[in-house]
Amino acid sequence: MSPVPIFSEKTRRTITGIGAAILVASVTLYLALPVIALFFRTTPELFFSTLSTPEVISALYLSLFTSVVSLGVVILIGTPFAYVHCRNEYPGKMIIDTLIDLPLVLPPAVAGVALLVLWGRTGMLGHYLSLSGISVAFTTLAVIMAQIFVASPFYLRQAKSLFEQLDPAYEQTARTLGASPLRIFALITLPLTANGLISGAVMTFGRALGEFGATIMFAGNLPGVTQTMPLAVYVGMEGNFVVGITISILLVLISFAIMIAVRLLARRETFHA
Amino acid sequence: MNQSFSTKQIIVTGIVCGLLVLTAFFAGCASSAPAQPVTPAATQAPQTTPQAAGTTAATATPPKPVYTPSSGNIVAFTAASLKGVSTRLASDFEQKYPGEKVVFNLDGTQALKTQVQNGAYADVFISASNSYTAELTKGGYFVNGTVKPLTSNYVIVILPANNPANIQSLADLAKPGVKIAMEDKTVPAGTATVAVLANLANSTYSQDWNTSVFKNVVTYETSEPGVATKVGLGEVDAGFVYESTYTAAPNGTYLAISIPKKDNYLQTYTIGVLNESASQSAASDFENFMLSDSGQQDLKDYGFRPLSSS
Repeated sequence: MSPVPIFSEKTRRTITGIGAAILVASVTLYLALPVIALFFRTTPELFFSTLSTPEVISALYLSLFTSVVSLGVVILIGTPFAYVHCRNEYPGKMIIDTLIDLPLVLPPAVAGVALLVLWGRTGMLGHYLSLSGISVAFTTLAVIMAQIFVASPFYLRQAKSLFEQLDPAYEQTARTLGASPLRIFALITLPLTANGLISGAVMTFGRALGEFGATIMFAGNLPGVTQTMPLAVYVGMEGNFVVGITISILLVLISFAIMIAVRLLARRETFHA
Repeated sequence: MNQSFSTKQIIVTGIVCGLLVLTAFFAGCASSAPAQPVTPAATQAPQTTPQAAGTTAATATPPKPVYTPSSGNIVAFTAASLKGVSTRLASDFEQKYPGEKVVFNLDGTQALKTQVQNGAYADVFISASNSYTAELTKGGYFVNGTVKPLTSNYVIVILPANNPANIQSLADLAKPGVKIAMEDKTVPAGTATVAVLANLANSTYSQDWNTSVFKNVVTYETSEPGVATKVGLGEVDAGFVYESTYTAAPNGTYLAISIPKKDNYLQTYTIGVLNESASQSAASDFENFMLSDSGQQDLKDYGFRPLSSS
């Protein structure tokens, strides 16, 4: 005969329910309260008046421009790369797999130093470029390169796993019907994986937008050219507190807008066999 | 799913674990506590100072903690330009006051000021800017009567040793295509640089020269050593730093163009004991040491200007 439990079923259920509620509440508050505190540190008038200062506007445009370009490059080059990488076996595939994940683990400041040591004026490749008059470090291009370096793993890993998990039956059927590999990729594979690719792109954009360490190392800090929003927050918090808070709030709002837009866009029918 | 590990997996795991163990071994071997990784977004961790000569490379002892709160240990928030001299100051202080130790947190004065205002703990504050000292004094952070002038520094222009842009004079700084590194205007060295350039424009060169120099700036660094690093790497053609940075660097690291004294800006450093300090006596000892002949001589050896001279 089984022993009688100390607490009744109802009590245990209540205790579990309370425990779960505390768990959910604490996680939510830990994530939400700092963001809420930002909004309470300033007033709407101060926020809107600081929004129109040249340093905030230039940081905003620069951040959005560079992040969009970085995302575009990652998607344009990363998608075919992930597809080719998944559909073929080639020597060194495992090493490349690991390399794709490297920027995720590497501290961003280290990434910045590495980029500087390679592409800088006295760098391994950079000094050839500077001989031809091309300079990379301390330009907007450097910002884009740094963002691509740190943010691309988000998209590449997502694309890789999506293409790997896609049921090969769809592509094979299309092949038997006479479609070329390119047509298959464009009309079969991409639509089927679009949802996942979009979420990967969102994470990439968010990471690129928030990049700080590599940017300040490799691209420097020049308003209008390389001072992205995170850099402006950092400098602002040391000198002009109000500007720092304003840009922080701006970044929060942009992040929310991206996430909401994506959730609306990605509400598509998933295809079933 | 029950799956035994393949040979490849075992080998890779073994290599990774081996590397981690090796790293921990070397970290423990060093006689000083392991240095904290630098994260630009976070507050800079205190720079550890090497222990006195007695500690040998004991392989068995674990790394010492960076800072143990006790009446003999003090934390000094110090302007970044004292980076080079900080090691010597720490060892001389520990010699003069056995049992007391100082740990330096070196960063731009503006960053340290913000940290203190937001609750960071420090015993002593060495500021490179009178206005930031005044701001902290007005906020009641210093113990009354402990804020004293410490030392001073002039601004100088440094160039990479191979002078890639062939800069021969201050006028050349305005040449198109020259890359200049400067501190951000919130950094004390940056405010000094702006003042120096304005003086030079008024007295010798024109306002156009001033505008062109600013057009040539490619980066506004957040601390003075940051500019020195960019120049040392050869990534920029010129940088504005303190004279002490040039004097203390090994011979041949930089070339320099000095700025006439009448146009230059004398940055005055101040030192003060913070109210929040839990080791007030040790903190006063440190301040006395810094103001004493021994501390002043250390500063002078590293290129700082004693206050009595101008």
